[in-house]
Amino acid sequence: MRKKYNIFDYIIIFVLVLVSVIMVYPFWHEMMYSFSDPVEAATGGMFLFPRGFNLKSYWSVLRNKSVWTGFRVSVITTFTGTLIGVLLSSMLAYSMSKKEMPGRNILVGMIFFTMLFGGGMIPNYLLIKELKLIDSYGALILPGLCSAWNIFILKNSFTGIPASLEESARIDGANDLTIFFRIVLPLSKAVLATIALFTAVGYWNDYFSTILYIISKDRWSLQAVLREILSNAQSAMSSSGISVRAEEAISSETVKAATVMVATVPILVVYPFIQKYFIKGVMIGSVKG
Amino acid sequence: MDEKNIRQTRCVNVRQTGNMRRGLWRYRYLYLLALPGMLYFIIFRYIPMYGVVIAFQDFRINKGIWGSEWVGLEQFYKLFGGLSFPAVFKNTVIISLYKLILGFPAPILLALLLNEVKNRKFKKITQTVVYLPHFISWVILAGLIAMFMHPDNGLINEAVKLFNNGKGIDFLVSKKYFRSILVITDIYKGIGWGSIVYIASISSIDSTVYEAAMVDGANRLKQMWYITLPALKSTIVVMFILNMGGILNAGFEQILLLYNPRVYDVADIIDTYVYRNGIMSSNYSISTAAGLFKSVISMGLIIVTNKIAHMLEEDGLW
Repeated sequence: MRKKYNIFDYIIIFVLVLVSVIMVYPFWHEMMYSFSDPVEAATGGMFLFPRGFNLKSYWSVLRNKSVWTGFRVSVITTFTGTLIGVLLSSMLAYSMSKKEMPGRNILVGMIFFTMLFGGGMIPNYLLIKELKLIDSYGALILPGLCSAWNIFILKNSFTGIPASLEESARIDGANDLTIFFRIVLPLSKAVLATIALFTAVGYWNDYFSTILYIISKDRWSLQAVLREILSNAQSAMSSSGISVRAEEAISSETVKAATVMVATVPILVVYPFIQKYFIKGVMIGSVKG
Repeated sequence: MDEKNIRQTRCVNVRQTGNMRRGLWRYRYLYLLALPGMLYFIIFRYIPMYGVVIAFQDFRINKGIWGSEWVGLEQFYKLFGGLSFPAVFKNTVIISLYKLILGFPAPILLALLLNEVKNRKFKKITQTVVYLPHFISWVILAGLIAMFMHPDNGLINEAVKLFNNGKGIDFLVSKKYFRSILVITDIYKGIGWGSIVYIASISSIDSTVYEAAMVDGANRLKQMWYITLPALKSTIVVMFILNMGGILNAGFEQILLLYNPRVYDVADIIDTYVYRNGIMSSNYSISTAAGLFKSVISMGLIIVTNKIAHMLEEDGLW
């Protein structure tokens, strides 16, 4: 290891620190803002620390019923969507990884083609309508279950599992189902965690499906609720039954900040733990697409 | 029954010479595993592909796809003869090209910089930080952008006021600045995530190559230029092909969440056009035509760039 630093190293470190600060500051600002007293926060400027620390804004967010229903809807869709999606994708990807299976090339071609061409927004919308899924959890969960991209990452990873492991199980009388569930899946934790993370983030951050397919407010996803609060805090608060007084009108900005934090924290908590997996997972998938 | 299976699995040669039906039967569990996923793709990807035929119809929701009248290319004539779509198409291409020119090299540059960091811990923390915005939704980012750019008390505008005689600029309703905001915030969200594939390729470079170069007296800039970048070439080509395929996407959610009628002239893209015309105004056929136009061009661009990559003796996407 060479550890002698020259001017080149210091320039690089400086640039990267600058980039990191730009990346993190908006979230830090928002967090400090959300802990601030609404009136003091209104003066603006940089927020390195809260001004007049208090949790009023969070109380206001927690009193908002639509935040709770949104949270519930997003947890349900994220959980079921990720579970079913990862299962379906890995099952399909495993059979695609078996070169000797007759019809395998047709299957691969069929999945690959969906990366090149798609029906687009209107035909997708009309399909959901025809399936009578409008305004249901199905509309939030089904369209995003599997993606060709994820399936190819999984397929490449399954191809890399040594055939000898599967052969010895086969000699012991195991069939493809047993091999897949008992040997292949447990050996593929890293890539499964990666795909699960991608899928889960997709569901958690999904805003457009709600706008497209959902009518009843009790099935709005968190992002849709959030959007309503962010674009107009006052009307959102009054429509959810909170009376808007003058001082609460000022506080709407800190309420927005607190709402942003409520939606971001679940990602911030999970993300560092899965990070080491997804770098590995992306590497496996990216070596040859 | 079970005993027969085991025998079949054990005697590889017997199975290979067996008849077709027995061959397929042997793979029954693999087909079983593939079945649900295949059904999913048929229903949720291939049926909508068939659904694009309504672009050639005068689709009425009460008559359905089987009962609506066929009109040939009329919807496309209307689309291109109308006032709004040509402008929308132009916006899409311009915004995408800006994003491609500035946004495509950015992750490569970041990966090269990260590769030069000697301290592992510093590298790791930086990586964690720069990947983060990728995981944050556009809804939240749009909220942050609006807050930082607020004309009265947004942080960016407080800086602007210092140079602009105390006047802030309402960036989000300004035709002059709106596209720049799209490009900058897009890079903000994507630069770190985009760098992962390049970091992965760099890590597979044989370190003896660098040692040999050092012995020959190549400094670090030269190593970067003559070793690292050439080693990234095939990854860059693949990423470029994928970007070309997405060139008519231009960033639907981002724009949908940030734009407003005052910047439609510079910000309205094919997808937002399809959304407003198709979903909100229920003009299904004409907006499907717009969407189909986009999908066909995107597919063409992928195929053409892939072909060019092959001509340049690169592997390409397939």
